[in-house]
Amino acid sequence: MPAIEVQRQTLPMLGSPNQGARFYNPDLPQTEPFVPGHRTCAGCGPSIQYRMTSKASGDNTILVGPTGCMYVANSSYLCTPYNVPWAHTQIGSAGSFTAGVAAAYEAMIRKGKWKGTFPNIICEAGDGSASDIGLASISGALYRNHDCLIICYDNEQYANTGIQASSRTPYGGMTTFSPPGPMVPEAKTLFPKDLARMMAAGHPHCYVATASVGYPIDLMNKVRRGLNHKGASFLMIYTPCQKGFVYETPRSIDLGRLVVECGLYPIWEWNPETREYDYSFRPQSMRPVSEYLKLQGRFGHLHAEHIATLQKFANQQWEMMGVELPEALLRATDAKNLVAMASAEAAAAVAQTV
Amino acid sequence: MATATATKRKVRINGCVSAAQAAKYADVDVITAYPIRPYTATMMALAQMVANGELDAEYIVADSEHSQLSIAHGAASSGARVFTGSSGVGVQFAYELYSPISGSRMPVQMMIADRTLDPPGDFGSEHTDALSTRDMGWLMGWSCDAQEAFDNHLLGYRIGEDPRVLLPQMVCQDGFFVSHITSDVELPDTGQVKEFLPPYKHPYPLDPRHPVSHGPQIMPEQGPPLQLERARAMEGAMPVIEEAHDDFARIFGRKYDPWLEEFMTDDAEIAFFLQGGHGVTARYAIQHMRARGAKVGMVRLKTIRPYPTDRVMESLSRFKVVGVIETNMGLGSVSSGGSLYAEACAALYESQKRPLVFSFMAGMGGEAIVLKEFYWMTNKMLDAQKRGKIEKRTHWVGFEE
Repeated sequence: MPAIEVQRQTLPMLGSPNQGARFYNPDLPQTEPFVPGHRTCAGCGPSIQYRMTSKASGDNTILVGPTGCMYVANSSYLCTPYNVPWAHTQIGSAGSFTAGVAAAYEAMIRKGKWKGTFPNIICEAGDGSASDIGLASISGALYRNHDCLIICYDNEQYANTGIQASSRTPYGGMTTFSPPGPMVPEAKTLFPKDLARMMAAGHPHCYVATASVGYPIDLMNKVRRGLNHKGASFLMIYTPCQKGFVYETPRSIDLGRLVVECGLYPIWEWNPETREYDYSFRPQSMRPVSEYLKLQGRFGHLHAEHIATLQKFANQQWEMMGVELPEALLRATDAKNLVAMASAEAAAAVAQTV
Repeated sequence: MATATATKRKVRINGCVSAAQAAKYADVDVITAYPIRPYTATMMALAQMVANGELDAEYIVADSEHSQLSIAHGAASSGARVFTGSSGVGVQFAYELYSPISGSRMPVQMMIADRTLDPPGDFGSEHTDALSTRDMGWLMGWSCDAQEAFDNHLLGYRIGEDPRVLLPQMVCQDGFFVSHITSDVELPDTGQVKEFLPPYKHPYPLDPRHPVSHGPQIMPEQGPPLQLERARAMEGAMPVIEEAHDDFARIFGRKYDPWLEEFMTDDAEIAFFLQGGHGVTARYAIQHMRARGAKVGMVRLKTIRPYPTDRVMESLSRFKVVGVIETNMGLGSVSSGGSLYAEACAALYESQKRPLVFSFMAGMGGEAIVLKEFYWMTNKMLDAQKRGKIEKRTHWVGFEE
């Protein structure tokens, strides 16, 4: 029997991508593949991301959920927030299970066993799954170029299991596996794995980008670009966790913008056609890292020299994006110009309260 | 014969290629491969079939066995017929996936060509690799030659995909003894396969037109009902297995007892109880020993999951002494030998007439069980029969006088 050609979807881009969260865009899709009623925390960054992603993707979508918050807190047996097919898979199976779904649809459509347009296949892996235990499986799926989108919803920790350090946890971030103490005053001593860049460098034929819940239109457009790209795509999305970061619940979206404005979460795209990074995304302002850190209890223990270390890290990120550094940010790399978090005027919470 | 047999043909192939042929005849949609000896030859054969255009399937070279089984899980969940396989430590590397796949009731098929576990990197066949997963909800059994392997792969899909069953299958064969020894295999007419094996149709696949959620988080009290359903599926598979074997005999003309192969047991007083390829050598050894007056026979277990408890009890109760040939490791287990001993003895517990049972650690490390060793084991059994008791439960054959 002759093979049937596989038809694929092309999703349109939304306008005004660089607007903040409070901008109303009338072109936003009405559909809600991810509905309320799940058990995530108030202000949960990953679930806000989930809603945006699935809205952008639409109804002809299949979601894959490796173990993590977005599995445990979303799905409850006999009650589901998913209006599209969804399957749990093991935490180490993010890329592989998703690859199986994509391969099945390629074969079934080609062989006439399933009739319809190739679905959007999206994997929602936490950073523990994506940067640690499921890293190889995702690399395998990207390398083999299955037509799917793998998202790392990055809350910079294993939150579902009660806040443990992942290889995405930032330097200075307190978790239950990286607590501060007299011997380790800064808590987490390692810098985060540069996951998205690793995926772009290792799989240059894939569409790879970073995004943040602070910029919803940009996020949704990147989801669509990833889905429109024929082959594998990878998105790493900043999704703050109120429980682990210890901040005031309504500030999730604010943090999503502050982390970018402070240079701690560079927003970029890797173009698989030109094989180049696109660093043209610019936040509306640039700020010192302390403005981001002081809102979160997980950084409440940091001393001035630790903040200076983080500022140096942020400045390197700005430089990498080709941004000229203002004097204030250069000054902020000297601990003498900084104060410890515990004495910072606006420190939101004390680290020990987690 | 119900169907035209014009394109039926005999070929001389080994167990690995035989399994690959079965996957081709089953028109699988997704194949996931990862190399490890000795099963690799199956995936090599399938890769060539796909490259030649003989089989239209997605052929995925996975990044590990864990990924292999996860890909298989995802593909089966989407409604595709899936074929995968492994050997030895590869079977273990994928261990996490066995329960999720059977728990989500996905009839993935996995070919196993047994290999000893590490240490220290022995290529030979021991059944421990697959047997260690025996309670994970997979249908499981051993073939003793290439023809039986081909047939068991087709039977596996037919049974596992039956809507009354929906369970994954491990179709096992001994590494090298079956996987790499060529013998005559009759390949069927595609019409026969069509008649025997209907297209795979999972009732609740991941289909955007009929959204379903697979595997949501459950509360503790919601777990046991699901486990009970899986246990019932395993029990409920028993009549389906018998039905499938009857249909197989009608369509293909080869009749198998789905549970046990009995060889020269009619008047036997002592019998070997074993699985897989050593059954072939045992048949020869038994004829040899019978010619010298020993009333010995063989019972070969063909399906270990679901375990045919009553059949094993009825069969083994007829003998005075049973010698379990393990070909697997059960370190510190009931007999301190292998795990098959416990399976045999548990089945015999309710019997009015229990035989004496030995656990023979033979064929370990992929060594052939030679005639001399069959004689040695038979003498142990005859001695126990005479004395009415065993001197010890487990013997490492070849390590004792």
